[in-house]
Amino acid sequence: MKVSKILVFICSMSIVFVGGILLIKASAQENNITNQQIEIIRGNCTSIKNILRQLRASDALLRVNRGQTYESISTKLMNGFNSRVSNNNFNNSNFVSITKNFNQALNTFRSSYKIYEENLSSVINIDCSKNPEMFYNSVVEARDKRNRVHANIIILNQYVYQYQSILNKFEKDYKPAINGVN
Amino acid sequence: MELINNMAEEQNSEVGIISFVNKHSFKIFITTSIIISFIIVNISMFLYYGSGAAQLDLSRPGYQDVRDKIEVDDGEFYDYPDSGPMNDTVIDDFKVLYEKYVRKVKLIDAFGGDPLSPKELGIIPTTE
Repeated sequence: MKVSKILVFICSMSIVFVGGILLIKASAQENNITNQQIEIIRGNCTSIKNILRQLRASDALLRVNRGQTYESISTKLMNGFNSRVSNNNFNNSNFVSITKNFNQALNTFRSSYKIYEENLSSVINIDCSKNPEMFYNSVVEARDKRNRVHANIIILNQYVYQYQSILNKFEKDYKPAINGVN
Repeated sequence: MELINNMAEEQNSEVGIISFVNKHSFKIFITTSIIISFIIVNISMFLYYGSGAAQLDLSRPGYQDVRDKIEVDDGEFYDYPDSGPMNDTVIDDFKVLYEKYVRKVKLIDAFGGDPLSPKELGIIPTTE
């Protein structure tokens, strides 16, 4: 009985150990870099960094312009219209709920862009001729962070469209009431 | 007697500090100013980077090319008034205004694409 317990323990430990090794291998393979790539990075270090600098500048512009647009949608349109609906004694809970979610998503977008920008800046500061592997891994990380920013944009756009459909529904549902009031 | 001696020593040391301050007042003033400004600059830099303002600051070096491409508010998008009646015209006007923003958002797939992929960066992986 005791021996079987020990066997079970040894088996489970070896499964955990082998599983751990496989996981480490899998994650290493994700960021696998070939010797040829190392040479390419070393040889084209300056040009790759220039591409990254240009991307950082264009993304910063995109962040400013897009951030401004979302900010305006929230503060100039949504807030104003929500209050107007409420001031006229109509139920604005759907509008308010979407606006709240939109603002939360906007905050997430701001912070995820900040993380991405810091990541990309640190990539640019790496000496890729001396540390090509570290550079490559950091690029992979920055790529992931950029994808997250894109995911936030998709979420924000969904809320923008949702608000629009709620607006259409409001128009349809409340038209008789509006015409009755005025 | 000991107490009197201690008091005399304390008085002497106070006089010593005062005379030191009087003698080196300008140097102390400069040093203190530098220390205070150093602390304030550090706090400002911490807030500048920590708040995310740095990411929006296109006056930084390296952003000259994109600086003039910032969209300026030309008054097309105004604050929607929160007071006033609610009728068909109001809703229609709001829908038109809102549609302008929706079109703006749809125009570009912001942060889409994959410019950091090895292919885009010219680090094309090949089998060895």
